[in-house]
Amino acid sequence: MTQLDPRVAMHLSDAAVSVELETPDMTLNIGPQHPSTHGVLRLVARVDGERVEAVEPVIGYMHRGYEKLAEVRTYAQTIALVNRIDWVSGFANEIPFVIAVEKLMDVEAPERAQYIRMILTEMARISSHLIFMSSYPLELGAATPLMHAFRERERILELIEGVTGGRFHPNFNRVGGVKPAAGGGSATKKLIQDLPAGFLQQARDAMDKVLTVCDDLDDLVTGNEVFQARTIGVGVVPRDKALEYGLSGPNLRASGVGFDLRKAEHILPYDGIDFEIPTGENGDCFDRYIVRLAEIRQAARIIQQAVDRIPSGPLQAKVPRVLKVPPGQAYVRAENPKGEMGYYIVSEGGRVPYRVKIRSASFSNLSILPWILENQLIPDLVAIMGSLDFVLGDVDR
Amino acid sequence: MTDSPSEADREDTAADPHAAFAERVASLVGADAWAAEHETVRVVVRRESWVDALRTARDEAGLEFFSWLSALDWSRDVAVGEPAADAEALEERFEVIARLSSVADASAAHFVATVPKDDPWIDSLVPVFAGAGWHEREAAEMFGIDFRGHPNLTKLYLPDSFEGHPLRKSYPLLSREVKPWPGMVDVEDMPSTDNVEADQA
Repeated sequence: MTQLDPRVAMHLSDAAVSVELETPDMTLNIGPQHPSTHGVLRLVARVDGERVEAVEPVIGYMHRGYEKLAEVRTYAQTIALVNRIDWVSGFANEIPFVIAVEKLMDVEAPERAQYIRMILTEMARISSHLIFMSSYPLELGAATPLMHAFRERERILELIEGVTGGRFHPNFNRVGGVKPAAGGGSATKKLIQDLPAGFLQQARDAMDKVLTVCDDLDDLVTGNEVFQARTIGVGVVPRDKALEYGLSGPNLRASGVGFDLRKAEHILPYDGIDFEIPTGENGDCFDRYIVRLAEIRQAARIIQQAVDRIPSGPLQAKVPRVLKVPPGQAYVRAENPKGEMGYYIVSEGGRVPYRVKIRSASFSNLSILPWILENQLIPDLVAIMGSLDFVLGDVDR
Repeated sequence: MTDSPSEADREDTAADPHAAFAERVASLVGADAWAAEHETVRVVVRRESWVDALRTARDEAGLEFFSWLSALDWSRDVAVGEPAADAEALEERFEVIARLSSVADASAAHFVATVPKDDPWIDSLVPVFAGAGWHEREAAEMFGIDFRGHPNLTKLYLPDSFEGHPLRKSYPLLSREVKPWPGMVDVEDMPSTDNVEADQA
C-alpha cells in the first residue's frame, strides 16, 4: 500500500463517505443529480484510470418516511401515499396494498373490478417499460427510440387518465374494488359510472400500436451493433447472486429464473389469460433489455385478452364506510413492473395500521450495485446502472 | 398470532397448505413456534440461532430468494398512531423479521426473532445473504438495533447527524405535533344513494 498523498487525503475527508481508500486513486463523485441516476442518487466511486475499483451508492435524498406516515393515516388515505412510491407505475403500487387490506378484512373485489385492476396494472407495466426503452438507449447514445416510445406511452397514459383521472397517481383502488371512473360519483346524479365509453376499443387499438412500436424498437435498438457492443456480456448477474441480493422482476428473469408473481400468486385473474414469462440466459445488460421488450409484448397480449373477457357487474364489494381492520398480519406481494412489490401490514384492530413494511423492488435491485460495478469500466457503469431500471422513489420510499 | 402448534393446528395442516409448509419449515430450522395466518407463514426462531435458521431454510427448504428484512416495535409508549390492541399487557420488545421465498413455487416464510429492548442486538445475515446488508442498515437506523458482524453498519437513508430512531413507536412525528389529525375536520361524506335522496328532499 502506497503512502496517501496529503492532498488526496484532504479530499477524502471532505467527501465524508464510508469508502475505505487504500491507494491514492481518484475518487469520482457521480450525482446526486446526474442524467443517468434517474432521480437523486449519488455514487462515490474509487477509480483507477478508467476502471472502477469500488462504488458506494449514497441514497436517501428522496426518503419520505412512508412507513411512519402510514402509521398515522387511515387505510384509505394510505392508498394515495403508496402510488407515489414507484411513480412511473403508480397504479401497480396500489394493488398489493389494497389486496393486503382486503385479505385482513376478508373481502374480495368483484370480478369486474379485478379485471380493471389487471388491465390497468398491465398498462402501468407497458408505460414503465416504455420509459426504460427510451431512457436506456438514450444513455447509450441513441436518441431516436425515445421519440417512438414516448409517443406510445402518451397514448397509454391518456387511457389510464381517462379511467382514473390521474396520469401518474391514479389513486383509483379502494378496499373492496375500484373507484367509479372519472366523471362519475356526483352526489346529485344517480349515475353508476363505469369505464369511460369506448375504453375497451381504445385499449385494443392502443395495444396494436404498442406491438408496432415494439417492432420499431427491434429495428432501432435490438439489432443495432453499437447497442449490442455496449450491452452484450456487460454487467453479468449470475442466478445465485440475483437471488442473494433479492433482485426481482425483469432483472431476475434476465438471469434465467423464470419466476413471475403473476403466475405464482393468485391475487388478480391472470389464471385464465394466456401469456409467457420471457427469460434471459446470460444475465447481462442485453438480456435485461430484451426481457423488458418481450414483457411489453406479453402485457399487450394480456390486455387484448382481458378486454375481450371483462365481465359486467359491480365495481365495489360491500365494505363499511369507516374501515376498521380486524387484528392480524398479512403480507401481499405483486409483480410490479420493477419486480416484487409487497406490503406487510400489521393491524391491531384500529382505523390506522400498527405497522406497514413496504417491500419495494428497486431497493433490492439497486443494492447489488457495489457488487456488480466492481472492476467495471466507467463507460459501462452507466450501461449497467441503466439496465437495472430503478426509480429512486421506489428505492427511498 | 404466535400460537404454538396445538392439536387443533395439526389437524388443520392437511387442509391448509400454508400451515403444512409452516410446520415443515419450523421443524427444519428448530423453531419455537409457527403460524400461518392470511397465507403469511410466520416462523419464530430464537435470537441465538437466527443466522443458522435462515441458512438452513435457504439450503434445505428451498427458500433461496432474500426478499426483505425489517423490524416491528411492540411498545406501550406510542407517540403517534394508535396503540396496540392490548397495550397494557404488552411485552415491550422488537421483532426482527426476515422474509425468504422460493423461486420454484409460491412458498415463502417470515422468520421472526424477538429482540429485547434493553439489549437490542442480533447477528447480521450478511454472511448468508449479502443482500441483507442494506436492509439491516435501514432497520438499524430506524429502530436502533445492532446487527452484530455487519461490515458497514452506517446510516443508509438518514443524514449522519440524525438523532433518534424514527420508526420506534415512541418517536413523534412533527406534522402530527402541529395538527393531530388533519382531514377529520374537512372530510366529506361519500356520495351514495342515501345522501342523493337527502339532497333531493
